[in-house]
Amino acid sequence: MKHEINTDPVLQIDSLVKSFGNNRVLNGFNLKLYEGENLVVMGKSGSGKSVMIKCLVGLMHADSGTITIRGKDITMMRPQELDILRTEIGFLFQGSALYDSMTVRENLEFPLRRHKERLRIRESNINLVKEALENVGLSEAIDLMPAELSGGMKRRVALARALILKPKIILYDEPTTGLDPITAKEIIELMRTIQKKYSTSSLIITHDVDCARVISNKIILLINGVNYIEGTYKQLVQSTDPLVKAFFK
Amino acid sequence: MSGIKNSSSQNFRLGVFVVLGTLILISALYFIGKRQNLFSNTITLYAEFKNLNGLQLGNNVRHAGINVGVVNKILMINDSRIVVGMSIQEDLSQHIKQNAIATIGSDGLVGNMLINIIPQSGDGTIVKSGDTIRTYSRIGADDMLTTLNVTNENAALLTADLLKLTTKILNGKGTLGMLINDSLVAKDLKKTMNNLKLASAQASQVLRETNAAFKTIQSNNSVINTIAFDTVSGTQIKNLLANLDESSMKIKQMSTDLTNYFEQLKDADGVLNYLTNDASVVRSIDSTLFYIKEGTYKFNQSMEALQHNFLLRGYFKKQERLKEKKE
Amino acid sequence: MAYSQEVLARFRNFFIEIGELSFFAHRYFKEVFSPPFEFKELLRQCYQIGNKSLLLVGVTGFILGLVFTLQSRPTLMQFGAESWMPSMVSISIVREIGPVITALICAGRIGSGIGAELGSMRVTEQIDAMEVSGTNPFKYLVITRITAATLMLPILVIFGDAIALIGSAIVENLKGAVSYQLYFGKVFNALHFNDLIPATIKTFFFGFAIGLVGCYKGYFCKKGTVGVGEASNAAVVYSSMLLFIIDFIAVFVTDIFFEI
Repeated sequence: MKHEINTDPVLQIDSLVKSFGNNRVLNGFNLKLYEGENLVVMGKSGSGKSVMIKCLVGLMHADSGTITIRGKDITMMRPQELDILRTEIGFLFQGSALYDSMTVRENLEFPLRRHKERLRIRESNINLVKEALENVGLSEAIDLMPAELSGGMKRRVALARALILKPKIILYDEPTTGLDPITAKEIIELMRTIQKKYSTSSLIITHDVDCARVISNKIILLINGVNYIEGTYKQLVQSTDPLVKAFFK
Repeated sequence: MSGIKNSSSQNFRLGVFVVLGTLILISALYFIGKRQNLFSNTITLYAEFKNLNGLQLGNNVRHAGINVGVVNKILMINDSRIVVGMSIQEDLSQHIKQNAIATIGSDGLVGNMLINIIPQSGDGTIVKSGDTIRTYSRIGADDMLTTLNVTNENAALLTADLLKLTTKILNGKGTLGMLINDSLVAKDLKKTMNNLKLASAQASQVLRETNAAFKTIQSNNSVINTIAFDTVSGTQIKNLLANLDESSMKIKQMSTDLTNYFEQLKDADGVLNYLTNDASVVRSIDSTLFYIKEGTYKFNQSMEALQHNFLLRGYFKKQERLKEKKE
Repeated sequence: MAYSQEVLARFRNFFIEIGELSFFAHRYFKEVFSPPFEFKELLRQCYQIGNKSLLLVGVTGFILGLVFTLQSRPTLMQFGAESWMPSMVSISIVREIGPVITALICAGRIGSGIGAELGSMRVTEQIDAMEVSGTNPFKYLVITRITAATLMLPILVIFGDAIALIGSAIVENLKGAVSYQLYFGKVFNALHFNDLIPATIKTFFFGFAIGLVGCYKGYFCKKGTVGVGEASNAAVVYSSMLLFIIDFIAVFVTDIFFEI
């Protein structure tokens, strides 16, 4: 399943540094994501995975290092430019992050508010919402409130929201946390289906080994703020390094 | 669909909420403003006082008991002249005549001060903006009431003394016999009698005049009248009039009695022997006469004061004119 | 030693908090007049803050007027000054009690509501999600809420005042046989613009303070459910304190400009 079509990565991180007070969370992290690739970044809780992915979309500002998405450096971007770039990136948040005060439909329409005109999407909101919900198999939930949904359904709606602008890059922040193994598997299957359908490139942050096994083309192990080791699932499982072994048991 | 409907009904309710709230605020402002005559057309009247007794800007102005405006200007010209500007609602000002009188009063015992505009009888032109109306200071009335009060007390005292005396004489218990033997005393007595007669005549004359004056005042629609309707001063004056009436009656009665008695004395010699040698009677008669004199003098004085009081000036002038006509 | 350091740290935190709050207010004024405007969300927040608080404010105001009049009656009766009741009640309600009590209740309801809502949105990354979706969450969440609170509180206070006076009038009507017409006639006789206008102006500041503190506490909420609770609690405490400070300043300013 290895296909490195383009030589240029769609997303590249070079020596990213980020610290909170005296705690240096990221200390020169590097990453390259190629088109159509599913890259998994693994690490313990608090290892800086979430910080890294938030730096990618400009929710946090790195202390130093560059982040290049489709050839543009986002660390120097003005907010307006950043907004435009963000339309090309889908983001699935750890806890789904659905807006509690809005229905599923309103949740899905939310990204369309500002971006629709800019992207010259001619389709009506309702069609886009329906299409996105069909993709995740939840068409009947359109008028429900997030509080009425189960955890798995929430995750699906959140995925539908991340996909509504048909982004080329999707960032998954712990897509399977808080879900039972069966639902987690369903979500992983859904991620694969969508990746095939829209041929997106995905960056997945997780500590779920199963998830990494099923979906990854390549895995980066993030330990002590740097890429400790890179390789395919098979390569890492066979590694003799005690830290890596601890991960894959 | 439900989302849109929901939000439009929410917006409707929000609109009702906001409009209602704003309406309450605006109407409250309107009513407050209306109370202060900010929106109706007003005219300005002026009045000059010596003493404002704590009148303030914003105090009410009443005409015949109706709130017609507020005090909107207080200007001190010198230590005894203070000009008060009143803004009066134009529609209510049509009933205020130029001869109306402004006084400072209070709204109940603990109430705010206010200006009463008191309508006067007689024809007068309607006030227009900028007019100054006459005022009447309550302090003048107070002075007058005090003088009248003293007079009244003196008269009452005098009456009581005379009554005692006449009772004694009528009962035949006295010292008149001694008076007859002593020519000096007899002379004194005669003189005294004459004086008494004179005094009584004077007293009754004065009382008649006062009575007449007050009667005219009462029937006349003048300031005294309104005082009488007003408060404490009204009852005071009424009592005073009643007392004066009574005393004058008693004095008259007594002097008639005395005259009759002395005439009887002259005719019937025998009776004189019954009179005792008590000199105290003479002294008491003497002092009585003194009181009567003093009373009359004071009465005259107070009549003078009344004559100088501008309230009654009109009446006395009228009297003088009548006299002149007769002559 | 440790104790004095703790005290020092608390002082430091206090000033940091004040500084951050000022910065937050500054950011509000910088962004409130620049597009895009979240008008629909503003209306929604106005509805949430205004209409939804009306019942609470109304009930409180009514009871306030009722109790205030009932309690004052015996004292005034001793002086035979029951006829002064409408003026006394209306002036104290319109000038001070109405605005302050309504604002305190709203600090409890609106302030804690905003603090908890934004706090939980922060904790569950909804605010981040908004930012990623191309919507400025400060404009969408903070500006709308602060503006709505600023605009709605004066209206709530007006309703509160009016309902409190109605409550007072009912007591006077039942206990003192004062007709409603006479009661409100006396009320409007006693009130001046100097009573109503400064009191209304200061309620805008009350609303702003409630919205500002609630949003600040929620927007910078610490992680976890404990953080949400703290945010909502701190929003109420801080905004109530701020209300009294504003009221104190307002009385001074009113004194200077309106000569009470």
